Amino acid sequence: MNRRTLLGALAGTAVAVPVLSSCASGVTSLDGGGSTGGGSASSKNGVTIGTANFTENQVLGYLYAAALEAAGVKVKVRPNLGTREIVFPALKSGDIDLLPEYQGSLLTYLQPRSKVAEAGEMQNALTLALPSGLQVLPYGIAEDADCFVVTRATARKYGLTSLADLAKHNGKLVIGASAEVKTRQVGVVGLKDVYGVEFKEFKSLDSDGPLVKGALKKGDVDVANLFTTDTDIKANDWVVLTDPKTLIPSQHIVPLIADRVADPTVRKALARLGNLLTTAQLTELNRQVDKDKKDPEDVANTYAKQHGITK
Amino acid sequence: MFELFKNLAKWLTSGSQWAGTDGIAHRLAEHLQYSLLATLIAAAIGLPLGLLIGHTGKGAFLAINLASFGRALPTVGLVVLVFLASGLSMWPVYIALVALAVPSIVTNTYAGMTAVDPDVKDAARGQGMRGHQVLFQVELPLALPLIMTGLRLALIQVVSTATVAAYVSFGGLGRFVFDGLAQRDLVQVLGGAVLVAVVAIVLDLGLSGLQRFLFRHRTA
Repeated sequence: MNRRTLLGALAGTAVAVPVLSSCASGVTSLDGGGSTGGGSASSKNGVTIGTANFTENQVLGYLYAAALEAAGVKVKVRPNLGTREIVFPALKSGDIDLLPEYQGSLLTYLQPRSKVAEAGEMQNALTLALPSGLQVLPYGIAEDADCFVVTRATARKYGLTSLADLAKHNGKLVIGASAEVKTRQVGVVGLKDVYGVEFKEFKSLDSDGPLVKGALKKGDVDVANLFTTDTDIKANDWVVLTDPKTLIPSQHIVPLIADRVADPTVRKALARLGNLLTTAQLTELNRQVDKDKKDPEDVANTYAKQHGITK
Repeated sequence: MFELFKNLAKWLTSGSQWAGTDGIAHRLAEHLQYSLLATLIAAAIGLPLGLLIGHTGKGAFLAINLASFGRALPTVGLVVLVFLASGLSMWPVYIALVALAVPSIVTNTYAGMTAVDPDVKDAARGQGMRGHQVLFQVELPLALPLIMTGLRLALIQVVSTATVAAYVSFGGLGRFVFDGLAQRDLVQVLGGAVLVAVVAIVLDLGLSGLQRFLFRHRTA
């Protein structure tokens, strides 16, 4: 499982989320920004953290938990709740209070047609798109975004460093990705629009799974669509093509939280964690869970201790 | 709901949907090609095996259990396993489909052979027929209805499972199902599923009709 499966499973319900009814929820307030309807935010009664059903999201959930506990907040983690289709409504109904999210995927869920890609613009778009009672806190530096990778040998052979370089070899390269990438902006469509890239063939495989990675490794495809926190990229010395024209939307990790618990203690603890955790570190934590079969909670707690979040 | 069926009908009947390499006609041809070839290979393996163990009565336990094992194999798992070993080719698809089809062919052929009345076989031998003559002139003709049923079952199973080809980037009607799911296009998913079901039903009806015609003088 991974972030896109989470997104892919939500089908039509995304459209039903009220998008326009949400504007006034504390966006303009300077003192914490979290209060709606007069009641002030407080984490005194504890915060329930939910996570989606894939490794990275669980690790992030436990990292949030460690950071909040260190700040003296009572925390309950409900891991592995399911896809965004399940987790988002649980947040709205109050079953959970806090959820590790990804900017781009969350915005696509709220506004399927949005074309905002830059991190700061996206943060504003998210704030506007969220229903009342929910808000996103400042985004962290770690990011789990779509990326297009080639093997080191392919990069050398064709002189590839950025997505723009692909256009120099139009009609020669084969791309492998899951089926939706063929018709999606962050995929074949956008690569043609933004970079003028035309592939020889599109091979419909899986989303950052054994098929697409196996095909890349064996040379059955030249370019593969993966995620930046995939540990196999580093392990295989694959080359991530840069995106100079910002085709790929920012996917910085962002806490999605209910206004009622977003008090200054919580906001500061999560901001501190956001500034600390890098993409490389998150990738390493994923690796420990996926490859070394460690428990996500232990991995998160060890990280928190090593980096001085907890004692 | 009504809207969905209206769109589905539109999808299935629009001319542009049927044309081109992404069109229904081409995908249907691919699907039939995968299915027929896989069933033929499976028959080439399963028929001799079933006849042999049915005729000799030896190795039945092993063969039937191996066949049941093949039946229990998850097809998608097998596809991924072979893919990881062989790379991106049609091998994973054909191996998985053949593994799916062989069991019904072996078990039905064997069942057909064992259902032949022992007295008839005795009489054939008593008349001086040799082993291969008993097999091809007595047992095989008598077992043919059940053997045909096995082949029919195998083909239907393969037709409904050949959608896995799309899982490893190839064509067939599964393309509509997988692409539709990934692109959140429910009409396309349903269209593909309906087409697979129709093909399976039409083949089943056609083959059982043929069977009834061929064996119209028999009671069994």
